[in-house]
Amino acid sequence: MNREQLAEELDLKIEALGTMNAHPSTPEPLLHLAAELRMLPREEFRNDLREQLMERAESLEVGEYPTSAAAHEFAFGQPDLSPAFSRQQFGALPADPRNFLFSFLSHAALVAFIASGIWAAHSPAVRNRILISELTYAPLPVGDIAPHGGGGGGDHSAMQASHGTPPKFSDQQLAPPAIVVRSESPKLQASPTVLGPPDLKLPQSNQLGDLFSPNVMPSNGSGSRGGIGDKSGTGIGTGVGSGVGPGYLAGYGDGVYRLGKGVTAPHAVYDPDPEYSDEARRAKYQGNVLLSLVVDATGHVRDIRVARSVGMGLDEKAIEAVQKWKFAPGMKDGHPVAVQVSVEVNFRLY
Amino acid sequence: MEILERESDDRSLIEAAQNEPARFAALYDQNFDRVYAFFARRVSSRDEAQDLTAEVFHQALASIRTFKWQGAPFIAWLYGIAANVLSKHWTKQGKHVEEELSGLSSMGGEMERSVMLAKAVETLLPDQKHVILRRFVDQKSIREIAQELGRSEGAIKQLQLRALENLRAKLGGTI
Repeated sequence: MNREQLAEELDLKIEALGTMNAHPSTPEPLLHLAAELRMLPREEFRNDLREQLMERAESLEVGEYPTSAAAHEFAFGQPDLSPAFSRQQFGALPADPRNFLFSFLSHAALVAFIASGIWAAHSPAVRNRILISELTYAPLPVGDIAPHGGGGGGDHSAMQASHGTPPKFSDQQLAPPAIVVRSESPKLQASPTVLGPPDLKLPQSNQLGDLFSPNVMPSNGSGSRGGIGDKSGTGIGTGVGSGVGPGYLAGYGDGVYRLGKGVTAPHAVYDPDPEYSDEARRAKYQGNVLLSLVVDATGHVRDIRVARSVGMGLDEKAIEAVQKWKFAPGMKDGHPVAVQVSVEVNFRLY
Repeated sequence: MEILERESDDRSLIEAAQNEPARFAALYDQNFDRVYAFFARRVSSRDEAQDLTAEVFHQALASIRTFKWQGAPFIAWLYGIAANVLSKHWTKQGKHVEEELSGLSSMGGEMERSVMLAKAVETLLPDQKHVILRRFVDQKSIREIAQELGRSEGAIKQLQLRALENLRAKLGGTI
Protein backbone atom coordinates (compact mmCIF):
# COMPACT_ATOMS: atom_id res chain seq x y z
CA MET A 1 0.00 0.00 0.00
CA ASN A 2 1.50 3.37 -0.99
CA ARG A 3 1.39 6.56 1.12
CA GLU A 4 -1.58 7.93 -0.77
CA GLN A 5 -3.66 4.82 -0.13
CA LEU A 6 -2.51 4.75 3.47
CA ALA A 7 -3.56 8.37 4.00
CA GLU A 8 -6.91 7.66 2.33
CA GLU A 9 -7.62 4.58 4.43
CA LEU A 10 -6.61 6.28 7.65
CA ASP A 11 -8.93 9.18 6.93
CA LEU A 12 -11.85 6.82 6.28
CA LYS A 13 -11.27 5.25 9.69
CA ILE A 14 -10.96 8.67 11.31
CA GLU A 15 -14.24 9.68 9.70
CA ALA A 16 -15.88 6.52 11.09
CA LEU A 17 -14.39 7.34 14.48
CA GLY A 18 -16.16 10.68 14.39
CA THR A 19 -19.46 9.01 13.63
CA MET A 20 -19.05 6.51 16.44
CA ASN A 21 -17.76 9.22 18.77
CA ALA A 22 -15.75 6.59 20.59
CA HIS A 23 -12.31 5.07 20.87
CA PRO A 24 -11.36 2.61 18.16
CA SER A 25 -11.69 -1.07 18.88
CA THR A 26 -8.77 -2.05 16.68
CA PRO A 27 -5.23 -1.66 18.01
CA GLU A 28 -4.15 0.92 15.43
CA PRO A 29 -1.79 3.43 17.02
CA LEU A 30 -2.55 6.34 14.72
CA LEU A 31 -6.28 5.85 15.14
CA HIS A 32 -5.92 5.83 18.92
CA LEU A 33 -3.93 9.00 18.63
CA ALA A 34 -6.69 10.53 16.52
CA ALA A 35 -9.26 9.60 19.17
CA GLU A 36 -7.18 11.31 21.85
CA LEU A 37 -6.71 14.41 19.75
CA ARG A 38 -10.49 14.78 19.57
CA MET A 39 -10.44 15.53 23.30
CA LEU A 40 -7.85 18.31 23.14
CA PRO A 41 -9.21 21.59 24.51
CA ARG A 42 -10.00 24.42 22.14
CA GLU A 43 -7.38 27.15 22.05
CA GLU A 44 -10.02 29.81 22.56
CA PHE A 45 -11.27 28.01 25.69
CA ARG A 46 -7.81 28.11 27.23
CA ASN A 47 -7.48 31.81 26.46
CA ASP A 48 -11.03 32.70 27.49
CA LEU A 49 -10.69 30.92 30.81
CA ARG A 50 -7.42 32.72 31.45
CA GLU A 51 -9.13 36.04 30.77
CA GLN A 52 -12.03 35.13 33.05
CA LEU A 53 -9.65 34.22 35.86
CA MET A 54 -7.68 37.40 35.46
CA GLU A 55 -10.85 39.49 35.56
CA ARG A 56 -11.87 37.72 38.72
CA ALA A 57 -8.40 38.07 40.20
CA GLU A 58 -8.52 41.82 39.63
CA SER A 59 -11.80 42.02 41.50
CA LEU A 60 -10.31 40.31 44.56
CA GLU A 61 -9.11 42.77 47.09
CA VAL A 62 -5.41 42.50 47.72
CA GLY A 63 -6.18 43.19 51.38
CA GLU A 64 -7.93 39.84 51.65
CA TYR A 65 -4.72 38.05 50.89
CA PRO A 66 -1.99 37.30 53.40
CA THR A 67 0.74 39.85 53.69
CA SER A 68 4.01 39.03 52.07
CA ALA A 69 5.54 38.10 55.40
CA ALA A 70 2.63 35.91 56.40
CA ALA A 71 2.60 34.16 53.05
CA HIS A 72 6.30 33.61 53.33
CA GLU A 73 5.84 32.13 56.75
CA PHE A 74 3.52 29.36 55.74
CA ALA A 75 4.87 28.87 52.29
CA PHE A 76 8.51 28.53 53.11
CA GLY A 77 8.54 27.44 56.69
CA GLN A 78 10.31 28.98 59.64
CA PRO A 79 13.07 27.85 61.95
CA ASP A 80 11.86 25.00 64.11
CA LEU A 81 9.79 26.59 66.89
CA SER A 82 9.22 23.30 68.70
CA PRO A 83 12.61 21.72 69.09
CA ALA A 84 11.31 19.43 71.82
CA PHE A 85 8.88 17.87 69.41
CA SER A 86 11.52 17.36 66.75
CA ARG A 87 14.01 16.10 69.37
CA GLN A 88 16.47 18.90 68.68
CA GLN A 89 18.66 19.42 71.72
CA PHE A 90 19.55 22.96 72.77
CA GLY A 91 20.50 22.50 76.44
CA ALA A 92 22.35 19.98 78.51
CA LEU A 93 19.29 17.75 78.98
CA PRO A 94 17.85 15.71 76.12
CA ALA A 95 14.60 17.07 74.64
CA ASP A 96 11.53 14.96 75.32
CA PRO A 97 8.52 15.27 73.00
CA ARG A 98 6.17 14.23 75.84
CA ASN A 99 6.95 17.49 77.67
CA PHE A 100 5.91 19.45 74.62
CA LEU A 101 2.72 17.41 74.26
CA PHE A 102 1.75 17.84 77.89
CA SER A 103 2.41 21.57 77.77
CA PHE A 104 0.46 21.96 74.56
CA LEU A 105 -2.58 20.04 75.80
CA SER A 106 -2.77 21.88 79.12
CA HIS A 107 -2.54 25.29 77.43
CA ALA A 108 -5.09 24.28 74.82
CA ALA A 109 -7.52 23.18 77.53
CA LEU A 110 -7.10 26.50 79.34
CA VAL A 111 -7.66 28.55 76.19
CA ALA A 112 -10.71 26.45 75.26
CA PHE A 113 -12.20 26.95 78.72
CA ILE A 114 -11.82 30.74 78.55
CA ALA A 115 -13.03 30.91 74.95
CA SER A 116 -16.14 28.84 75.69
CA GLY A 117 -17.21 31.33 78.36
CA ILE A 118 -16.74 34.27 76.03
CA TRP A 119 -18.59 32.48 73.26
CA ALA A 120 -21.53 31.54 75.48
CA ALA A 121 -21.88 35.15 76.59
CA HIS A 122 -21.53 36.92 73.28
CA SER A 123 -21.63 34.71 70.25
CA PRO A 124 -24.69 35.13 68.06
CA ALA A 125 -26.09 32.08 66.37
CA VAL A 126 -26.65 32.76 62.74
CA ARG A 127 -28.53 30.46 60.46
CA ASN A 128 -28.99 30.90 56.82
CA ARG A 129 -31.21 29.08 54.43
CA ILE A 130 -31.97 29.32 50.82
CA LEU A 131 -35.39 29.92 49.45
CA ILE A 132 -35.71 29.34 45.81
CA SER A 133 -38.50 31.37 44.34
CA GLU A 134 -39.62 32.82 41.08
CA LEU A 135 -38.89 36.49 41.05
CA THR A 136 -39.93 39.09 38.56
CA TYR A 137 -38.00 38.60 35.39
CA ALA A 138 -36.89 41.71 33.59
CA PRO A 139 -34.57 41.36 30.63
CA LEU A 140 -32.05 44.11 30.21
CA PRO A 141 -32.45 46.46 27.28
CA VAL A 142 -30.20 46.19 24.28
CA GLY A 143 -26.81 47.71 24.86
CA ASP A 144 -26.72 47.18 28.56
CA ILE A 145 -23.17 47.64 29.73
CA ALA A 146 -22.85 44.35 31.53
CA PRO A 147 -24.46 41.54 29.59
CA HIS A 148 -23.51 38.11 30.91
CA GLY A 149 -25.09 35.66 28.49
CA GLY A 150 -23.19 35.27 25.32
CA GLY A 151 -22.62 33.57 22.09
CA GLY A 152 -20.41 33.57 19.11
CA GLY A 153 -19.38 31.41 16.31
CA GLY A 154 -18.68 31.93 12.67
CA ASP A 155 -17.14 29.97 9.88
CA HIS A 156 -13.57 31.24 9.93
CA SER A 157 -14.38 34.02 7.50
CA ALA A 158 -11.70 36.64 7.03
CA MET A 159 -14.23 39.36 7.81
CA GLN A 160 -15.83 40.34 11.08
CA ALA A 161 -19.44 39.20 11.51
CA SER A 162 -21.86 41.58 9.82
CA HIS A 163 -24.41 43.83 11.46
CA GLY A 164 -27.97 42.63 12.02
CA THR A 165 -30.29 41.32 14.67
CA PRO A 166 -30.41 37.91 16.34
CA PRO A 167 -33.21 35.40 15.73
CA LYS A 168 -35.66 34.56 18.52
CA PHE A 169 -34.55 32.98 21.75
CA SER A 170 -35.62 29.42 22.38
CA ASP A 171 -35.15 26.64 24.94
CA GLN A 172 -33.79 24.45 22.16
CA GLN A 173 -31.58 25.29 19.26
CA LEU A 174 -32.28 23.13 16.22
CA ALA A 175 -30.42 25.36 13.80
CA PRO A 176 -27.81 28.01 14.53
CA PRO A 177 -28.10 31.43 12.88
CA ALA A 178 -26.05 32.07 9.76
CA ILE A 179 -25.77 35.02 7.42
CA VAL A 180 -23.83 33.24 4.71
CA VAL A 181 -25.48 29.84 4.27
CA ARG A 182 -22.94 27.24 3.09
CA SER A 183 -25.34 24.36 2.63
CA GLU A 184 -28.17 25.07 0.19
CA SER A 185 -29.96 21.82 0.98
CA PRO A 186 -29.83 21.26 4.73
CA LYS A 187 -30.87 17.83 5.97
CA LEU A 188 -33.16 19.35 8.55
CA GLN A 189 -35.35 22.36 7.86
CA ALA A 190 -35.59 24.47 10.99
CA SER A 191 -35.72 28.15 11.82
CA PRO A 192 -32.54 29.44 13.37
CA THR A 193 -32.74 30.34 17.04
CA VAL A 194 -30.38 31.28 19.82
CA LEU A 195 -30.44 29.61 23.22
CA GLY A 196 -32.11 31.51 26.03
CA PRO A 197 -35.41 32.14 27.78
CA PRO A 198 -38.09 32.34 25.09
CA ASP A 199 -39.57 35.46 26.67
CA LEU A 200 -36.30 37.31 26.25
CA LYS A 201 -36.90 39.82 23.45
CA LEU A 202 -34.33 41.64 21.38
CA PRO A 203 -35.00 43.77 18.29
CA GLN A 204 -35.92 41.71 15.24
CA SER A 205 -35.35 42.45 11.57
CA ASN A 206 -35.01 40.54 8.33
CA GLN A 207 -31.24 40.73 8.53
CA LEU A 208 -29.56 38.29 10.88
CA GLY A 209 -26.31 39.45 12.44
CA ASP A 210 -24.46 40.92 15.36
CA LEU A 211 -26.20 43.94 16.85
CA PHE A 212 -22.96 45.65 17.69
CA SER A 213 -20.94 44.97 14.57
CA PRO A 214 -20.17 47.90 12.24
CA ASN A 215 -19.54 45.58 9.29
CA VAL A 216 -22.24 45.68 6.61
CA MET A 217 -20.69 43.11 4.26
CA PRO A 218 -22.32 39.67 4.72
CA SER A 219 -20.12 37.49 6.90
CA ASN A 220 -20.57 34.86 9.58
CA GLY A 221 -17.40 36.07 11.27
CA SER A 222 -14.00 34.66 12.01
CA GLY A 223 -15.03 32.32 14.83
CA SER A 224 -15.92 28.67 14.70
CA ARG A 225 -18.71 26.14 15.22
CA GLY A 226 -21.31 27.72 12.98
CA GLY A 227 -22.88 30.74 14.68
CA ILE A 228 -22.16 34.39 13.97
CA GLY A 229 -19.17 35.99 15.63
CA ASP A 230 -15.47 35.84 16.19
CA LYS A 231 -15.11 33.26 18.92
CA SER A 232 -16.85 29.95 19.33
CA GLY A 233 -20.34 28.60 19.56
CA THR A 234 -23.65 28.56 17.81
CA GLY A 235 -24.83 31.94 19.05
CA ILE A 236 -24.18 35.51 17.99
CA GLY A 237 -21.65 38.01 19.24
CA THR A 238 -18.20 38.26 20.64
CA GLY A 239 -18.72 35.68 23.38
CA VAL A 240 -18.67 31.91 23.59
CA GLY A 241 -21.83 29.84 23.54
CA SER A 242 -25.27 29.60 22.05
CA GLY A 243 -26.72 32.88 23.31
CA VAL A 244 -26.17 36.47 22.26
CA GLY A 245 -23.51 38.92 23.41
CA PRO A 246 -20.01 39.01 24.77
CA GLY A 247 -20.54 36.64 27.71
CA TYR A 248 -20.82 32.89 27.98
CA LEU A 249 -23.37 30.16 27.32
CA ALA A 250 -27.06 30.90 26.83
CA GLY A 251 -29.10 34.06 27.09
CA TYR A 252 -28.23 37.69 26.78
CA GLY A 253 -27.67 40.39 29.33
CA ASP A 254 -29.92 39.46 32.16
CA GLY A 255 -31.04 36.44 30.16
CA VAL A 256 -31.55 34.44 33.27
CA TYR A 257 -33.76 31.41 33.69
CA ARG A 258 -36.47 31.02 36.24
CA LEU A 259 -37.12 27.73 37.93
CA GLY A 260 -39.52 25.20 36.51
CA LYS A 261 -40.08 23.99 32.96
CA GLY A 262 -36.99 21.80 33.12
CA VAL A 263 -34.76 24.33 34.87
CA THR A 264 -33.33 22.87 38.06
CA ALA A 265 -32.38 24.92 41.09
CA PRO A 266 -28.77 25.69 41.91
CA HIS A 267 -27.63 24.46 45.29
CA ALA A 268 -24.96 25.85 47.54
CA VAL A 269 -21.78 23.82 47.88
CA TYR A 270 -19.91 26.39 49.93
CA ASP A 271 -21.97 28.69 52.13
CA PRO A 272 -20.14 30.14 55.11
CA ASP A 273 -22.34 31.86 57.70
CA PRO A 274 -22.49 35.63 57.71
CA GLU A 275 -21.08 37.63 60.58
CA TYR A 276 -23.26 39.65 62.92
CA SER A 277 -22.80 43.41 62.69
CA ASP A 278 -21.51 45.09 65.86
CA GLU A 279 -24.39 47.54 65.79
CA ALA A 280 -27.04 44.82 65.64
CA ARG A 281 -25.33 42.70 68.27
CA ARG A 282 -25.17 45.61 70.72
CA ALA A 283 -28.84 46.35 70.12
CA LYS A 284 -29.73 42.62 70.31
CA TYR A 285 -31.40 43.11 66.96
CA GLN A 286 -32.63 40.15 64.89
CA GLY A 287 -34.12 39.86 61.45
CA ASN A 288 -34.25 38.14 58.09
CA VAL A 289 -32.61 39.73 55.07
CA LEU A 290 -34.01 38.66 51.72
CA LEU A 291 -31.56 38.87 48.84
CA SER A 292 -32.27 38.46 45.16
CA LEU A 293 -29.37 37.20 43.11
CA VAL A 294 -28.34 35.33 40.04
CA VAL A 295 -26.32 32.12 40.19
CA ASP A 296 -24.54 32.07 36.87
CA ALA A 297 -23.71 29.04 34.79
CA THR A 298 -20.34 28.66 36.50
CA GLY A 299 -21.93 28.61 39.97
CA HIS A 300 -20.84 32.11 40.91
CA VAL A 301 -23.13 34.67 42.46
CA ARG A 302 -23.78 37.96 40.75
CA ASP A 303 -26.29 40.80 40.64
CA ILE A 304 -27.08 40.69 44.34
CA ARG A 305 -29.70 43.14 45.50
CA VAL A 306 -31.56 43.47 48.76
CA ALA A 307 -35.20 42.50 48.28
CA ARG A 308 -36.07 42.95 51.98
CA SER A 309 -33.85 45.02 54.23
CA VAL A 310 -33.54 44.81 58.00
CA GLY A 311 -30.87 47.48 58.47
CA MET A 312 -28.42 47.75 61.36
CA GLY A 313 -25.62 46.68 59.06
CA LEU A 314 -27.08 43.20 58.64
CA ASP A 315 -27.92 43.73 54.94
CA GLU A 316 -24.27 44.45 54.24
CA LYS A 317 -23.16 41.44 56.28
CA ALA A 318 -25.59 39.20 54.39
CA ILE A 319 -24.31 40.44 51.03
CA GLU A 320 -20.71 40.09 52.17
CA ALA A 321 -21.30 36.43 53.05
CA VAL A 322 -23.37 35.49 50.03
CA GLN A 323 -20.77 36.97 47.69
CA LYS A 324 -18.43 34.23 48.90
CA TRP A 325 -20.88 31.40 48.32
CA LYS A 326 -20.32 28.86 45.61
CA PHE A 327 -23.12 26.95 43.93
CA ALA A 328 -23.55 23.96 41.74
CA PRO A 329 -25.38 25.83 38.96
CA GLY A 330 -28.95 25.27 37.87
CA MET A 331 -29.31 22.99 34.87
CA LYS A 332 -31.42 23.05 31.75
CA ASP A 333 -31.30 20.13 29.29
CA GLY A 334 -28.08 18.95 30.85
CA HIS A 335 -26.35 22.32 30.51
CA PRO A 336 -25.59 24.76 33.30
CA VAL A 337 -27.58 27.99 33.03
CA ALA A 338 -27.86 31.21 34.99
CA VAL A 339 -30.83 31.10 37.35
CA GLN A 340 -32.43 33.81 39.44
CA VAL A 341 -33.04 32.83 43.04
CA SER A 342 -33.68 34.53 46.32
CA VAL A 343 -31.79 33.79 49.49
CA GLU A 344 -33.07 34.52 52.96
CA VAL A 345 -30.38 35.08 55.55
CA ASN A 346 -31.67 34.77 59.10
CA PHE A 347 -29.85 36.60 61.87
CA ARG A 348 -30.70 35.26 65.35
CA LEU A 349 -29.15 35.89 68.75
CA TYR A 350 -29.48 33.13 71.34
CA MET B 1 17.96 18.72 41.11
CA GLU B 2 15.10 19.23 38.70
CA ILE B 3 12.59 18.40 41.43
CA LEU B 4 14.17 20.97 43.76
CA GLU B 5 13.98 23.62 41.04
CA ARG B 6 10.35 22.78 40.34
CA GLU B 7 9.54 23.04 44.06
CA SER B 8 11.23 26.40 44.24
CA ASP B 9 9.30 27.57 41.16
CA ASP B 10 6.04 26.35 42.64
CA ARG B 11 6.70 28.12 45.92
CA SER B 12 7.57 31.44 44.38
CA LEU B 13 4.59 31.34 42.00
CA ILE B 14 2.22 30.49 44.85
CA GLU B 15 3.63 33.22 47.06
CA ALA B 16 3.25 35.72 44.24
CA ALA B 17 -0.39 34.70 43.62
CA GLN B 18 -1.19 34.86 47.32
CA ASN B 19 0.07 38.41 47.48
CA GLU B 20 -1.20 39.53 44.12
CA PRO B 21 -4.11 37.53 42.65
CA ALA B 22 -3.33 38.60 39.08
CA ARG B 23 -0.13 36.54 39.31
CA PHE B 24 -2.33 33.42 39.42
CA ALA B 25 -1.98 33.46 35.62
CA ALA B 26 1.44 31.85 35.87
CA LEU B 27 0.07 28.96 37.95
CA TYR B 28 -2.76 28.60 35.45
CA ASP B 29 -0.39 28.45 32.48
CA GLN B 30 1.85 25.96 34.26
CA ASN B 31 -0.93 23.57 35.26
CA PHE B 32 -3.69 23.93 32.68
CA ASP B 33 -2.67 20.92 30.58
CA ARG B 34 -2.49 18.60 33.57
CA VAL B 35 -5.82 19.61 35.02
CA TYR B 36 -7.49 19.34 31.63
CA ALA B 37 -5.90 15.93 31.05
CA PHE B 38 -7.27 14.79 34.41
CA PHE B 39 -10.80 15.34 33.15
CA ALA B 40 -10.28 14.48 29.49
CA ARG B 41 -9.57 10.89 30.50
CA ARG B 42 -12.64 10.62 32.67
CA VAL B 43 -15.52 12.31 30.91
CA SER B 44 -17.07 11.68 27.57
CA SER B 45 -16.98 15.09 25.91
CA ARG B 46 -14.67 18.01 25.46
CA ASP B 47 -17.33 20.43 26.70
CA GLU B 48 -17.62 18.52 29.97
CA ALA B 49 -13.85 18.43 30.40
CA GLN B 50 -13.62 22.16 29.70
CA ASP B 51 -16.42 23.04 32.15
CA LEU B 52 -14.87 20.96 34.92
CA THR B 53 -11.41 22.40 34.26
CA ALA B 54 -12.83 25.91 34.51
CA GLU B 55 -14.48 24.99 37.80
CA VAL B 56 -11.18 23.76 39.27
CA PHE B 57 -9.29 26.93 38.41
CA HIS B 58 -12.09 29.16 39.68
CA GLN B 59 -12.07 27.29 42.98
CA ALA B 60 -8.29 27.35 43.15
CA LEU B 61 -8.18 31.10 42.58
CA ALA B 62 -10.85 31.65 45.23
CA SER B 63 -8.92 29.73 47.84
CA ILE B 64 -5.28 30.21 46.84
CA ARG B 65 -4.67 32.17 50.04
CA THR B 66 -5.57 29.10 52.09
CA PHE B 67 -2.98 26.97 50.36
CA LYS B 68 -0.22 25.90 52.69
CA TRP B 69 3.02 24.56 51.43
CA GLN B 70 3.55 21.08 52.80
CA GLY B 71 6.11 19.77 50.40
CA ALA B 72 3.69 18.38 47.84
CA PRO B 73 3.65 20.09 44.44
CA PHE B 74 0.91 22.59 43.64
CA ILE B 75 -0.58 20.25 41.06
CA ALA B 76 -1.36 17.76 43.85
CA TRP B 77 -3.58 20.41 45.45
CA LEU B 78 -5.26 21.07 42.11
CA TYR B 79 -5.85 17.34 41.63
CA GLY B 80 -7.51 17.29 45.04
CA ILE B 81 -9.92 20.01 43.94
CA ALA B 82 -10.38 18.24 40.61
CA ALA B 83 -11.28 14.94 42.29
CA ASN B 84 -13.83 16.75 44.41
CA VAL B 85 -15.32 18.52 41.39
CA LEU B 86 -15.43 15.26 39.47
CA SER B 87 -17.06 13.45 42.36
CA LYS B 88 -19.85 16.04 42.50
CA HIS B 89 -20.21 15.88 38.74
CA TRP B 90 -20.65 12.09 38.82
CA THR B 91 -23.05 12.33 41.71
CA LYS B 92 -25.21 14.69 39.68
CA GLN B 93 -25.12 12.20 36.83
CA GLY B 94 -26.22 9.41 39.16
CA LYS B 95 -22.95 7.48 38.87
CA HIS B 96 -21.49 5.39 41.66
CA VAL B 97 -18.74 7.69 42.80
CA GLU B 98 -16.81 5.10 44.82
CA GLU B 99 -16.57 2.74 41.88
CA GLU B 100 -15.54 5.49 39.49
CA LEU B 101 -13.00 6.94 41.91
CA SER B 102 -11.37 3.57 42.46
CA GLY B 103 -9.99 3.77 38.93
CA LEU B 104 -8.40 7.19 39.38
CA SER B 105 -5.11 6.11 40.86
CA SER B 106 -4.27 3.87 37.95
CA MET B 107 -4.57 6.64 35.37
CA GLY B 108 -1.50 8.72 36.21
CA GLY B 109 0.48 7.46 33.23
CA GLU B 110 -2.33 8.12 30.79
CA MET B 111 -2.73 11.65 32.10
CA GLU B 112 0.95 12.38 31.62
CA ARG B 113 0.65 11.07 28.06
CA SER B 114 -2.24 13.44 27.39
CA VAL B 115 -0.13 16.33 28.63
CA MET B 116 2.72 15.23 26.39
CA LEU B 117 0.34 14.97 23.44
CA ALA B 118 -0.90 18.54 23.94
CA LYS B 119 2.68 19.78 24.08
CA ALA B 120 3.70 17.68 21.07
CA VAL B 121 0.96 19.27 18.93
CA GLU B 122 2.49 22.66 19.70
CA THR B 123 5.81 21.54 18.21
CA LEU B 124 4.40 20.36 14.87
CA LEU B 125 5.15 22.25 11.68
CA PRO B 126 2.58 25.05 11.19
CA ASP B 127 0.63 23.40 8.35
CA GLN B 128 0.52 20.04 10.17
CA LYS B 129 -0.58 21.70 13.39
CA HIS B 130 -3.29 23.58 11.52
CA VAL B 131 -4.65 20.39 10.00
CA ILE B 132 -4.60 18.57 13.34
CA LEU B 133 -6.40 21.36 15.19
CA ARG B 134 -9.00 21.92 12.48
CA ARG B 135 -9.62 18.22 11.89
CA PHE B 136 -9.73 16.94 15.46
CA VAL B 137 -10.38 19.91 17.71
CA ASP B 138 -12.75 21.85 15.45
CA GLN B 139 -13.87 18.59 13.81
CA LYS B 140 -13.88 19.96 10.28
CA SER B 141 -14.02 17.74 7.24
CA ILE B 142 -11.04 17.21 4.95
CA ARG B 143 -12.95 19.11 2.27
CA GLU B 144 -13.44 22.16 4.49
CA ILE B 145 -9.78 22.23 5.47
CA ALA B 146 -8.73 21.82 1.85
CA GLN B 147 -10.90 24.80 0.85
CA GLU B 148 -9.46 26.91 3.64
CA LEU B 149 -5.89 26.17 2.70
CA GLY B 150 -6.48 26.16 -1.05
CA ARG B 151 -5.04 22.68 -1.44
CA SER B 152 -6.37 19.35 -2.69
CA GLU B 153 -8.15 16.92 -0.36
CA GLY B 154 -5.45 14.34 -1.09
CA ALA B 155 -2.77 16.77 0.07
CA ILE B 156 -4.62 17.42 3.32
CA LYS B 157 -4.97 13.67 3.95
CA GLN B 158 -1.22 13.29 3.42
CA LEU B 159 -0.57 16.16 5.84
CA GLN B 160 -2.87 14.51 8.35
CA LEU B 161 -1.02 11.22 8.05
CA ARG B 162 2.40 12.89 8.41
CA ALA B 163 1.24 14.91 11.41
CA LEU B 164 -0.09 11.82 13.19
CA GLU B 165 3.10 9.91 12.44
CA ASN B 166 5.19 12.80 13.76
CA LEU B 167 3.11 13.00 16.91
CA ARG B 168 3.54 9.31 17.50
CA ALA B 169 7.29 9.63 17.03
CA LYS B 170 7.44 12.59 19.45
CA LEU B 171 5.63 10.50 22.03
CA GLY B 172 8.13 7.74 21.57
CA GLY B 173 5.63 5.36 20.03
CA THR B 174 3.82 5.03 23.32
CA ILE B 175 0.42 5.35 21.69
